[in-house]
Amino acid sequence: MLVAAAFVPTPPLLVPEIAGGSAAADEELRQACRAAVARLLDADVDHVVIVGQAPEDGTLDGSWDWRRFGVEAPASAPARSLPLGPAIGDWLLATAGRPIPAVRHHGVTVALPAQACAARGRELAGTRDRVALLVCGDGSACRSEKAPGSLDPSAAAWDDAALAALRDADAAALLRLDPMEGARLMAAGRAPWQVLAGAAGPGAFEAAIDWADAPYGVMYVVGTWLRKESA
Amino acid sequence: MTLAFRDKVLPVRGSLVMAIVNRTPDSFYDRGRTYALEPALEHADLAVEAGAHIVDIGGVKAGPGPEVTTAEEVDRVLPFVEALRTRHPRIVISVDTYRAAVADAVLRAGADLINDAWQCPDPELPSVVASYDAGLVCTHAGGQSPRTRPHRVEYDDVVDDVETVLCRLAEAAVAAGVRRASILIDPGHDFGKNSRHSLAVTSGLPQLVATGWPVLVALSRKSFLGEVLDVPADDRLEGTLAATAVSAWLGARVFRAHDVAATVRALRVVDAIAGNRDLAVGRRGLA
Repeated sequence: MLVAAAFVPTPPLLVPEIAGGSAAADEELRQACRAAVARLLDADVDHVVIVGQAPEDGTLDGSWDWRRFGVEAPASAPARSLPLGPAIGDWLLATAGRPIPAVRHHGVTVALPAQACAARGRELAGTRDRVALLVCGDGSACRSEKAPGSLDPSAAAWDDAALAALRDADAAALLRLDPMEGARLMAAGRAPWQVLAGAAGPGAFEAAIDWADAPYGVMYVVGTWLRKESA
Repeated sequence: MTLAFRDKVLPVRGSLVMAIVNRTPDSFYDRGRTYALEPALEHADLAVEAGAHIVDIGGVKAGPGPEVTTAEEVDRVLPFVEALRTRHPRIVISVDTYRAAVADAVLRAGADLINDAWQCPDPELPSVVASYDAGLVCTHAGGQSPRTRPHRVEYDDVVDDVETVLCRLAEAAVAAGVRRASILIDPGHDFGKNSRHSLAVTSGLPQLVATGWPVLVALSRKSFLGEVLDVPADDRLEGTLAATAVSAWLGARVFRAHDVAATVRALRVVDAIAGNRDLAVGRRGLA
């Protein structure tokens, strides 16, 4: 049963070693992610599933590894590196500064249809355990002239719909996000968010948004869904 | 090592400078300064006078922007190539394009070299270049579509990837009939790369030089220098010259530059240190 979910964006610049001298400029975003992860871990969970976009669907093995972004190799580099989205989640958990429960990693492709994402979510959360999802993904990457995908006039509306669904803990609305349009707008969060929607099912969740903005033309949303549990 | 583009043969030793002339209204640094024909020709005259060996004409901004059709691109670059050929019969004229149709038009008008910055997305390009016995720059762009920005690009090893891709492109050009002495390789700083990747390909230049293909670098006022220094394009001259000097020392041969006079002077010093250039004046302690 899904008891808690945190959603975080996945820009490499979230990692101070990658951002270098401009790391401090994004500390507020980083702290928002840390706060959301802390609430997730506070929810008395048995295990955490990290979900993010990946080249292939399914269980992932490995750890975060920033060499692929041009950072010099650390003393102990992992044997297998995770794709960016799950890697960001893995890094946030590993650096949370507190004991963490068992962690699994799960990848979903940019092309996975909404209902398949939802089914994946139901499967991941459908155990007797108290499951938490750490959902790693972003809104569109087309919010300004300088954005990675340049300004796209339909990006803001797409992001607004996603943000409203996340803010209202509205699983049905998340599932209405169009995969084709999401891919066109380079939104790495569409599939992971729809996994969250499936995992949440019809249950009632208390949503909180810590951060929502597109400072570099990519929409970042940080927050949590915590299950409303009867006393 | 000799470079030959059509009937032009460039010096065997030392560094060569390729002057940038953009016939675009919107390129990142010059922002339309040489969009009109007359200012562009004056700019080219000054560059040749300052010591440029090659003049590189671009008709399409590298970054995203309004679509420029093939016809529009030809309209922007062709009159300039024709006029420049008349004014400077022996200068090497390069055109920055990834389109075979544009290459065909400018080579017919007397251009010598095609500078493809986008990893050869047009499969006809090498054979068009070969049909004029012209030169070709093969550039690594990380497989990105032309005029797109890098977004969270990753490499197992960026220098290995650049080497592999550029050797493949260069051999494909040879297979299409381009002479070996007419091919340059360019690691494509900023193209399909974050700034750390661009720094890595700079320090990794010896690996590219070791392939035997002459290396061109386009460093001028680029974003990776801006991110090292946190300064806008207008304030990147010193960074450009530092990267230029280091790249020359590591074996790059051709330098694509906005600031031709400054770049020529910096490279003359590097070439002198490397023993590839004699003193212009040798009087100190010698009188």
